[in-house]
Amino acid sequence: MKKFVALVGTNTAKSTNRKLLKYMQGRYADEAEIEVVELKGLPIFKKTTEMFVPEQAKTIAEQINAADGVIIGTPEYDHSIPALLSSALAWLSYGIHPLMDKPVMIVGTSYGTLGASRAQAQLRQILDSPELKATVMPSSEFLLGHSLQAFDESGELKSEEEVAKLDGLFQDFLLFTDLSSQLDHSKELHQEEAAEKFSWDNGLTEDNK
Amino acid sequence: MVKLVGIAGSIGEESYNRMLLQYISKHFKDTVEVELLDINDVPQFNEDEDDGNSEIIQALNRKISGSDGVILATPEHNHTVPAAMKNVIEWLSNKVHPFDGKPVWIVGASYYTQGSSRAQLHLKQILESPGVNAIVMPGNEFLLSNAKSAFDENGDLKDQRTVGFLSMVLKKFLKFMKVIDMMDAPDPKNAHEEDMKSTNKVNTTVEGVDMDDPEWVEKAADKTHAASGGDYVKLDRGLLTVDQLNWFLNSMAGELTYADDNNQFIYYNKNADAAHMLAPRTPDQVGDPLEDVHPARVVEHVKQVIYALRTGQSDVVSMPAQQGPNQHVMHYYRAMRDENRRYRGVNELVIDIMPILKYYLAATGQKLVKDPDATPISPITGLDAVTGASAHSDPTADATSGASAAAAPEEEKPAAPEVDATSGASEETEEVAPTPAPTPEPETDATTGASEG
Repeated sequence: MKKFVALVGTNTAKSTNRKLLKYMQGRYADEAEIEVVELKGLPIFKKTTEMFVPEQAKTIAEQINAADGVIIGTPEYDHSIPALLSSALAWLSYGIHPLMDKPVMIVGTSYGTLGASRAQAQLRQILDSPELKATVMPSSEFLLGHSLQAFDESGELKSEEEVAKLDGLFQDFLLFTDLSSQLDHSKELHQEEAAEKFSWDNGLTEDNK
Repeated sequence: MVKLVGIAGSIGEESYNRMLLQYISKHFKDTVEVELLDINDVPQFNEDEDDGNSEIIQALNRKISGSDGVILATPEHNHTVPAAMKNVIEWLSNKVHPFDGKPVWIVGASYYTQGSSRAQLHLKQILESPGVNAIVMPGNEFLLSNAKSAFDENGDLKDQRTVGFLSMVLKKFLKFMKVIDMMDAPDPKNAHEEDMKSTNKVNTTVEGVDMDDPEWVEKAADKTHAASGGDYVKLDRGLLTVDQLNWFLNSMAGELTYADDNNQFIYYNKNADAAHMLAPRTPDQVGDPLEDVHPARVVEHVKQVIYALRTGQSDVVSMPAQQGPNQHVMHYYRAMRDENRRYRGVNELVIDIMPILKYYLAATGQKLVKDPDATPISPITGLDAVTGASAHSDPTADATSGASAAAAPEEEKPAAPEVDATSGASEETEEVAPTPAPTPEPETDATTGASEG
């Protein structure tokens, strides 16, 4: 059975993204083991000369390393992903590279109608950056708008239409995980670059050359 | 001088973006004042924990709110803005919104050739979201690439072409700020459109306090962490404590009232009780929209006065109020304008000019005589452009002002003393005592008349 890590992109207790990830955890329990991982508590990313990475980030990195793929649930703050998620992704590409070539599925909820569309677009761009180089499933937006009304008391997604859409995407993601494990021609090179030529500032990734 | 604040986007490292801001602050110190804000200790944003009152966020809120514009210097992490900068923006777009309507200039330094181009684009997108609502200067990207070798040992930019470009963009930003400032200004199309309910918030309006609250002054002062007592205030030109300012204003030889460009009554020099004032005001009225401190029948007239001042058709409107043998009270409404010539409110001075006139006559040994050839002017000046009223029009028929209804008929007005000021007494003139006018009720306070009773 596939193992996925699901990152909750926000620290608020009332997150509907957490609700969505928990719902997926239950609904797809027969097909995959989904571990919902909190980012709350991670410090704001900052660079140090000794390249310190907090324990919590290292733990998350290990969880991701052991997983077949990652699901990220993001809300939208100010038309972009929360600083917390941004920090997490920075830690997860600071001398460690758990997301490199890892299959990623993005979902997002919002209170309004747009379902975090802009944040998701930005997140794709970020995950594609040379230090992260995750393998994001293409053409696979799941934008859940009006998320406060979307779940019933037991945490089930109410709209059948949305459920069908999510089911389809999740089946695709299972397949995508298999497929992407075959895309191994560039992986070795990515890892090599990451290890030897890191980083944003002292790095020489091809982007910066 | 124009006041800017600068925020460097990353924390905890030697930052070329901070160096760039420091350089801007130093190199252009004769043109702008740039204060760098420190975001190192801002905690992780959590909407559950944000009550809008944390010390560090309030301090940033005040600095940004009080600035004319903001420079954000961003590096690029993972093709986006550093989490530290985004984190600060989240705090400042939740319970407090200091970026709202604020002109922002984005710059960026990077180690290599990209110069944070993608981070700048993301930052623009973030700043333009409704919760932030900053006004980002379009175009004019300043991307400093190869930052490591760009500065000399004094922290100065080495390449003169880069300095020249930076200076040009800064000039554009200063102009941009002026344009943005004007965008915020209320813009009624005619006198009738003057908003007497003060709903067109301007950049000095204190939000979150009910304008009609009797304790508006206390609550608004609290909200803005206003200077008080012994706090120093830097003025053009001088330096006074708030106490000194009060002593100074309260001892003025007249009653002063400030109504801002949103037509909100925000100040008077309280040196007497309402009962002893020429145009009575009471402390609880401060903060009120002008409509609430005027009887309905004069509101349209007040609008005409303000409109004439706002649009620059007049710099001063004056009109008489109480008149008598020993009193001739004048109301002078002066337009206040900022350095961009934008209208910033009306300065009303209420003063009894009779003592001045009497002193003048006594000191020069003269008396008033009636001038049989005089063509009396309208007692109200400064409204002609608005109303088409000419000097020859009958002031009582002049609908422009609440004051005119109470003004004395022309022949009863004291004639202008036609005397030679330098020659002293002119004995030939026939004395005309200022005729007692029908004493008007103090309802003549057309513009600010905070209290009619």
